[in-house]
Amino acid sequence: MTHELLHGLSSAEVEQVLKLGKRLIVPSGTALFLLGDPADRLFLTERGRIRLTLPMQVRGREEDVFVEERSPGQTVGWSALIPPYRFTLTATASLHEAEVIALPREALREYLAAHPAAGYKIALNLAVVIGHRLQLFQTMWVREMQRTVEVRSA
Amino acid sequence: MEMLLMGLCMAVFGMGIAALAFGAATRSGPSDSAVQPQVSLVKPVAPARFFSDRATATPTVPPVVSSGQVPIEVLLLQIENHVRMEQAAAESFLAFPTHALLHSKTTSPFVN
Repeated sequence: MTHELLHGLSSAEVEQVLKLGKRLIVPSGTALFLLGDPADRLFLTERGRIRLTLPMQVRGREEDVFVEERSPGQTVGWSALIPPYRFTLTATASLHEAEVIALPREALREYLAAHPAAGYKIALNLAVVIGHRLQLFQTMWVREMQRTVEVRSA
Repeated sequence: MEMLLMGLCMAVFGMGIAALAFGAATRSGPSDSAVQPQVSLVKPVAPARFFSDRATATPTVPPVVSSGQVPIEVLLLQIENHVRMEQAAAESFLAFPTHALLHSKTTSPFVN
């Protein structure tokens, strides 16, 4: 399993980082975390898929609306590394149970401080993950805005 | 006598000129007012076009209207499919950014 967050690290470094974490099994349909929860752990997806949702008012009811899905190897919950350390989405295991490695923020920070070379690579990988998310949602936002403009100027 | 006839002719001629001028004036008046009805005709046309636009826009509306009748699970599934399609479109744009890809039309039934 190659984790996007650990790309470029030696196998020994990968092993050291993974040892910081704890494997969790998330049954199908069970929430890994909820929007607004304190974010003190970062998750590396090992198996299954994690659905990320946001609450939306649909017919007067609050419904969790699909935003994104994370696959094995991908990172979930990087709010754990970004102040104010609160999850901004809800994460739930999809149709099948999922397995993740939960990396506590403090343990990860200590490791990164003690191993700057590995920390630099992880920070760059994290920037790629966050940057990709930003670009993706920026593009989706522009497309939605374009549709709104077309409807309003028709 | 000749002077009287000449005066009469001048008077008739003058009256003719006045009548023509009056006619032209009154003709130009109605033509202005004819423009106004055209303007007023245009005005009803605009709302008519507005409504016809709405009527032509109706094909985009039914999914929303009908979505109000479909079960909420189906509606949520439609939203999810829409998000997935939009993400795929956004991924395509990010892989090779062009204006055309950024604004490529979606086939998502949720907005069509």
